[in-house]
Amino acid sequence: MSRAAISSPVSTGFGLRRALTRHRGALIAAAVLAILLFIVDWISAGPLTYFDVSFLSSGGATSALAAIGQTIVILSGGFDLSAGAVISLVNVVLASSMDPMAPGASILLWTAVGIGVGMAVGAFNGFFIAVLRMQPIVVTLSTMFILQGVTLLVMDKPGGFVSPDLGTFYLGDAITGWLPMPLVVIGVVLLAWFWLKGTRFGTALYAVGSDPDSAAAVGINVVLVRLAVYVIAGGCYGLAGVFISAQTGSADPLVGNPLLLSMFAAVVVGGTRLGGGQGGPVGTVFGAYILMMVVNILLVLNVSAYYSTIAEGTILVLAALAGSLSHASVLAVQLRAARARVAAWRAGILPSQLEPIDRRLKIAGPSQGQRGPASPRPAFRLRNAEILRYALPAYVCLLIIVVVTQVWLGRAILNPGYWNSLLVLSSFLAVLALGQGTVILTGGLDLSVPWTIGISGIILAGMVNGSDTALLYALPVVLAMACAIGFANGFGIAYLGISPIVMTLATNGILQGFALVYSQGTPAGFSSPMLRWFMTARLGFVTPVVLLLVVFVAGAVLLLGHTPFGRRVYGIGNGLRAARLSGIGVERTLILVYMLSAVCAAVVGIMLTGFSGQASLGMGDDYLLPSIAVVVVGGALITGGRGHYLGMLGGVLLLTALQMLLAGTTLPYATRAILYGLVVLGAVMALRERRLQ
Amino acid sequence: MGIGLKVRRLALLAGMAVCAVGLSAAEAAEKHKIFLSMSYIGNDWQAEAANMVKAMAAHKSLADKVDLQVQVAGPNAQRQIQQINAMVQSGAEAIVVYPISPTALNQVVKNACDKGVKVFAYDAEITEPCAYNVHIDQLEAGRVTAEWLVKKLNGKGNIIAITGVPGTSVDDQRTKAAKEVFAKYPDIKIVGEAVGMWSQAVARTELSKILATRSWNDINGLWMQVGCFTANSMQLEAGKKASELLPCAGEGSNGGRIQMLPAGTEVEGAAPPYAPAGAQRISYASPPYSGALALKLAVEAIEGKEVPKTTILPLPVVTNETIKLCNEGTWAEMKAGCNVFKPSLVSNPGWFASIFSDQTPEIGLNAALVGQPEN
Repeated sequence: MSRAAISSPVSTGFGLRRALTRHRGALIAAAVLAILLFIVDWISAGPLTYFDVSFLSSGGATSALAAIGQTIVILSGGFDLSAGAVISLVNVVLASSMDPMAPGASILLWTAVGIGVGMAVGAFNGFFIAVLRMQPIVVTLSTMFILQGVTLLVMDKPGGFVSPDLGTFYLGDAITGWLPMPLVVIGVVLLAWFWLKGTRFGTALYAVGSDPDSAAAVGINVVLVRLAVYVIAGGCYGLAGVFISAQTGSADPLVGNPLLLSMFAAVVVGGTRLGGGQGGPVGTVFGAYILMMVVNILLVLNVSAYYSTIAEGTILVLAALAGSLSHASVLAVQLRAARARVAAWRAGILPSQLEPIDRRLKIAGPSQGQRGPASPRPAFRLRNAEILRYALPAYVCLLIIVVVTQVWLGRAILNPGYWNSLLVLSSFLAVLALGQGTVILTGGLDLSVPWTIGISGIILAGMVNGSDTALLYALPVVLAMACAIGFANGFGIAYLGISPIVMTLATNGILQGFALVYSQGTPAGFSSPMLRWFMTARLGFVTPVVLLLVVFVAGAVLLLGHTPFGRRVYGIGNGLRAARLSGIGVERTLILVYMLSAVCAAVVGIMLTGFSGQASLGMGDDYLLPSIAVVVVGGALITGGRGHYLGMLGGVLLLTALQMLLAGTTLPYATRAILYGLVVLGAVMALRERRLQ
Repeated sequence: MGIGLKVRRLALLAGMAVCAVGLSAAEAAEKHKIFLSMSYIGNDWQAEAANMVKAMAAHKSLADKVDLQVQVAGPNAQRQIQQINAMVQSGAEAIVVYPISPTALNQVVKNACDKGVKVFAYDAEITEPCAYNVHIDQLEAGRVTAEWLVKKLNGKGNIIAITGVPGTSVDDQRTKAAKEVFAKYPDIKIVGEAVGMWSQAVARTELSKILATRSWNDINGLWMQVGCFTANSMQLEAGKKASELLPCAGEGSNGGRIQMLPAGTEVEGAAPPYAPAGAQRISYASPPYSGALALKLAVEAIEGKEVPKTTILPLPVVTNETIKLCNEGTWAEMKAGCNVFKPSLVSNPGWFASIFSDQTPEIGLNAALVGQPEN
């Protein structure tokens, strides 16, 4: 290519522009990082020295390395939730097997051990995803639980010893005073990636991520490519685990878990598109360092503690917006469309301004009456074959779990209290499943669920303060606020073109800040007697909320299955462009979908306040991953377009029954986590995709 | 800091470097630059601890000595490492830190110590020897509460254990110490165990799960790290009378302590279940004043006083024999022995009531609630 470029100046310009467009995401991320570095340099007291650079490079290295692995998975069209757990596992494995008495340690050996552990986990993931064709999100979620259990079995509390040799090597200088080692490590990984990308495997990887069916059609071994992707990614997480071990000199079984969400943010900020086929690890590295620089910026700006998550969320959105500034971005397209609409309105040719005459083509179609007797309505089983296939497994597993509970603990099947508890405990996730499920059906994800729950509960408890009459105006206020939250999410996603993960992650941080500022750290107020009665009292054998649950489920099935709104949701999930061309107001529908999700989360916040009698900060934290898990266990496709609410409900009941079974035993937590992961994995075995034709 | 910096920049721009150096030296002599690195502030305990640290820094004895900046690292140890590095770089004299991990920070803390920065960890521990630690003895907490429960049950009965966050040292030490005590009594059986994550809301869900296959009548006692208030509320909802509440060894939330007051006690603002019920309890806590005390000790250390590397705080234990209602919650009043606050003052029953220390006359109830020091 370079020789051709030299001979013709025209093609140089063209080639350059093409290279710019292709690497736009990475270039913009690099520019944003440069600006942030400049800001930090400008507002902090001294100039940036080599030491600062060295510290910064080691600070972001762990998440950068892990995010490279995540990027490769995402490029292939996958999703890996086990990344954080692999980092913890490698950390404890290294720290528990090194001998504190022998001060020296082979860097090569232990790095290989770490990468090997990561690759083994990757092979496990890859086997289920590639060979058994199961959904990545649910496989890696199960792996995450299993690994968390295994990690606690290896080491149940922080401690252990990692040889300082590792630290000296990984945190030291490659060239003293010029080049810190962490940058070299990242550089080596990126070089390996460039080599890989140039091979046939690299092309195959992008092909599989863009369109697996076409890739298979041109003769790519999709199974092998997918398997290799997870193994390679596992190796990256393993290396990240080695790095954090070197950095900390010891182990903590919880160290990797919180890295997960920021890893996704790094990938998206770096310009890689979720869903695959576009982007690359270079941008991700810049993305990881952008997110890390935020810590330093908050410090030099002296942002007060309560506002720090708000500032972070805002920076995240701004970074994502900066990354999408181009002629082809959603924002630009929307602005052009708006201008066209205004022009059309001026000219008086907007569809709504035209006379309402029937412009349909006059084609003589078969009349409705003729088909009736000729082809009878297919049997229920046939009509609903797909729903049954994807929804039934959850219910079958539920049945098994209930029987096991009866045999192991007794007092289950014939005990009305058991069923009532099951339904009450399920009610929270059942409500969330509608919101999260609808978002997933459109191909998005709502990560702002935790603090939408939190802030709704806190504001409700504060307004109600034990008075039933206050409930009358507090409920509408909280629900209206939820609508506003959902509108903000939907607007950012539909009109500004920000990726759902980044937008809702930022919203979550901003809401956390608001909740802290509003409550000044101590949420006041408590639930009113009526709300508490509703969630905890017994009418005969049932708690009042169970009756509401029945109504809610019926409403949810109707909403998704029998309304224009529901059909639009499925339409968007099955193909955005097709949906737009068939006349669906995609933007309006997306906004409504995120509003529905936020309202569901707010209802859960209200229910939890009634259930606990009070609201607390962080009370929604435990509901994010389960809300996604139940949707997928219930047979929905994480990339959108497929799923039924009754299936999700089955997922909710299954996971709740499983937790009740495990809670009734006295097994150690680590064993429970492993069992939980295995059962989820087993439950979705039946949901495997059919073999590609 | 902002203004000082701008002044300095202007001075530099004008080429008066000498003046600038003089100014920054004068600044340093006046106020000590101290950073607070918190972990996750999305829960009640952390927020309360943060309020108390701020109140301590605002107290007249420290206000003109300390320039305190508060930063939050979230639950991510990696970020806290980064944050402490940045604090050292920007000239901290001392760093008060709630360590997310007792081990992960060791290297960065050692770096800080090497540069002469004093690092104080509160509540949880940092294992690096150069760090100062301020916390309670978690083993003692587990042992004392378990022994109390065994004694209440006369060494016989079925109990439920609700633990904290698995994989943390604090949870590990408390639970292990308690189980060692229970193991000595063969008639004490742990029939249910769940992870409570130190949250009343989680305790409620977990107890509901356990009770789906068990009845309150099969249980004789409860050992929980957090959740006695919730457990008592659930028993009352299930139709138990206040006099039948099971003995519960657990946390120092204000709601739990109000329930310990004899049933029928007149308390302003009380409404069931946040009301006196004569519940049999031992209430202990990791006291949220530890951060404030760490700040005070940090200032002493900067000023050259001898400060021990490890400060073990006395375990705040309250039983039905020692429970006493405060009127206003001043430090002086608490010194006289009161240890629980009216619901009209503290509307959140999950709020942690162990805020009294002999060593911190600067802070009382208002410090914990709104970050205002005592006069």
